[in-house]
Amino acid sequence: MAGPGACYTDADLEASKKKDSIYHQVSEFLAKGETVAVATIVSAKGSTPREVGAKMVVTAWGEILGTIGGGCGEADVKREAIEVIRTRKPRTVRVDLLDDISSDSPAVCGGIMNVFIDPWWQERDREAVSAK
Amino acid sequence: MSSLSEELVKIAEQGEAAVLVTIVEVSGGAIEPGAKCLIRDGQAQVDTIGDAKVVAALVGESERHAKAEKSQLVSLTIPDSAIKLEAFFEVMPAPPKLIVVGAGHIAVPLVKIAKVMDFHVTVIDDRLLYANRERFPDADEVLTGDMAQMLKEMNITSSCYIVLITRGHAYDEPCLRNIMHSKAKYIGMIGSRRRIKACFQRFRDEEKVTEEAIERIYAPIGLDIATETPAEIALSILGEVIKIRRGGKAASLSGH
Repeated sequence: MAGPGACYTDADLEASKKKDSIYHQVSEFLAKGETVAVATIVSAKGSTPREVGAKMVVTAWGEILGTIGGGCGEADVKREAIEVIRTRKPRTVRVDLLDDISSDSPAVCGGIMNVFIDPWWQERDREAVSAK
Repeated sequence: MSSLSEELVKIAEQGEAAVLVTIVEVSGGAIEPGAKCLIRDGQAQVDTIGDAKVVAALVGESERHAKAEKSQLVSLTIPDSAIKLEAFFEVMPAPPKLIVVGAGHIAVPLVKIAKVMDFHVTVIDDRLLYANRERFPDADEVLTGDMAQMLKEMNITSSCYIVLITRGHAYDEPCLRNIMHSKAKYIGMIGSRRRIKACFQRFRDEEKVTEEAIERIYAPIGLDIATETPAEIALSILGEVIKIRRGGKAASLSGH
């Protein structure tokens, strides 16, 4: 319990911790019966906007939570993610940030990254634990 | 009914360490990309891979990634099988825990600075006048009771950093006895060189205490930055904690 000197309550702190977790977002979408895609940077070469392990969640309507760096690369991943949600088959997408070196876009970093796009839906998520 | 995503939320909330392995590419078996294995404490807790050999290989491989606290894509050939795979090891490290023993004048700025750096902070003291919420509004836990006894009962893991800054050696020494063989990543103790030498000599006179256990204690505590105020001492202590956490080379007062 936070004392009188605290400028936040423990409940607020807990809530902000929860929101920080990408899996909390996933869990909420799944509870509503939606299928979402989780895109993760699994490997990178050269200069990339975000680090290996960075993730974003994409919904069937193309809504994005979190970021893997923005720009054209992210738009490509979003398009692929919608396909992944439709087919419920994961895929790896190679995002080449070398192409557009003359572009003014701040997202152009000069690197290459591999992004694994993985579908999550309720039955599969529950199977995982009951299969234990 | 629980699910994998709910398990992952729980891990994030409780600040526990885990590794989530996702199969990204695979050849030579019935396993499909997207199959997963959640590993905690060196054991597969949730697994949709369904192949004991593969899971055993992933559990074995996860150890070094967990230790390095770095997520990574790894190519593996499973022994005694035709299976080759690429798996992403997603490391969810436990947040570092700072245990501040002694709630005196150094503890106040120490807790403030540690919270800025996102440590989980526990303050313990036997005096309610010092160990209370008014004095430590930022701390995650403030505990009052016999310090040595509380340390003995705590679950001290390799993500714990322990700072002994009690009001005197009569209190530090029993505390130290109860943690010197623990898994703590760091143990530092405040005090004059003369008193520390005498304390370590008493330990050496007892057969049970190994030189190794004494060597790991950072005493006098802190980095050599010529501190004068309690806040400066707090900063030098946390500087030393970060040095241990990240593997830096700054000079410690203890000669480490």
